[in-house]
Amino acid sequence: MNLFRSKEHVKQWSQFKPGTEAGILTLADAMRVMSTPRHRNRLRPDYVSKLPETVPAFVQRLLEVSGNSPFWDLRPD
Amino acid sequence: MAADHLDRTYHYILSTFVERGQAPHFTEIAAKFGIPVEEGKRRLHELMAARLPNWLFPDTDLIASFAPFNNLPTQYRISVQGEQRWFAQCGLESLATTWMFPGKRVTVNAPCLDCGEPLCVDILDGEIKQADPGDIHFYVDLPIKKWYGNLPFA
Repeated sequence: MNLFRSKEHVKQWSQFKPGTEAGILTLADAMRVMSTPRHRNRLRPDYVSKLPETVPAFVQRLLEVSGNSPFWDLRPD
Repeated sequence: MAADHLDRTYHYILSTFVERGQAPHFTEIAAKFGIPVEEGKRRLHELMAARLPNWLFPDTDLIASFAPFNNLPTQYRISVQGEQRWFAQCGLESLATTWMFPGKRVTVNAPCLDCGEPLCVDILDGEIKQADPGDIHFYVDLPIKKWYGNLPFA
């Protein structure tokens, strides 16, 4: 789970795995993934008990950002 | 553990990270809640078993990582208003540190793993204010369903 200077740097990284291109996100999309209540609300005093309520928005955001890619689909099979 | 205990322990650990850049020890958890030291340790272990992206250093009672922060230095250095005191758990969580510091400019500094050259991201309340270089990308090689089974190596 790393940041790179460009998409080209990701693909030429020694540990890049061909076939996992779906795991590449732009910086803006990565920020969007981390901007639902699942991550925004961590400092709320009731965060752990309310965590299940944050799942739908997170799942939806992942699907939006990835264009419904199975790579980013958290829903049960 | 009662849900209230999980909430309170979680909030205390995360707030301590925000304040000082390091995790508390379980003795501090005990002191915070006025409970015996062994009960503080038990609450820590029960929270860490709650399937959150947090883990202990193996075979210890020491917090290694507590998203979005890391208690061991990583390549993701986090500065707030210019002061570098924190480390992020990973590249993705480095972006989520913005939510820990509302109203403050958070800067992520890290080397690119491919070339070692620096990259820098400035974020304010979830909005990317500046990125250098301008084409930074994130990469993970595991589908998201497999992340929890592969922490901390996802």
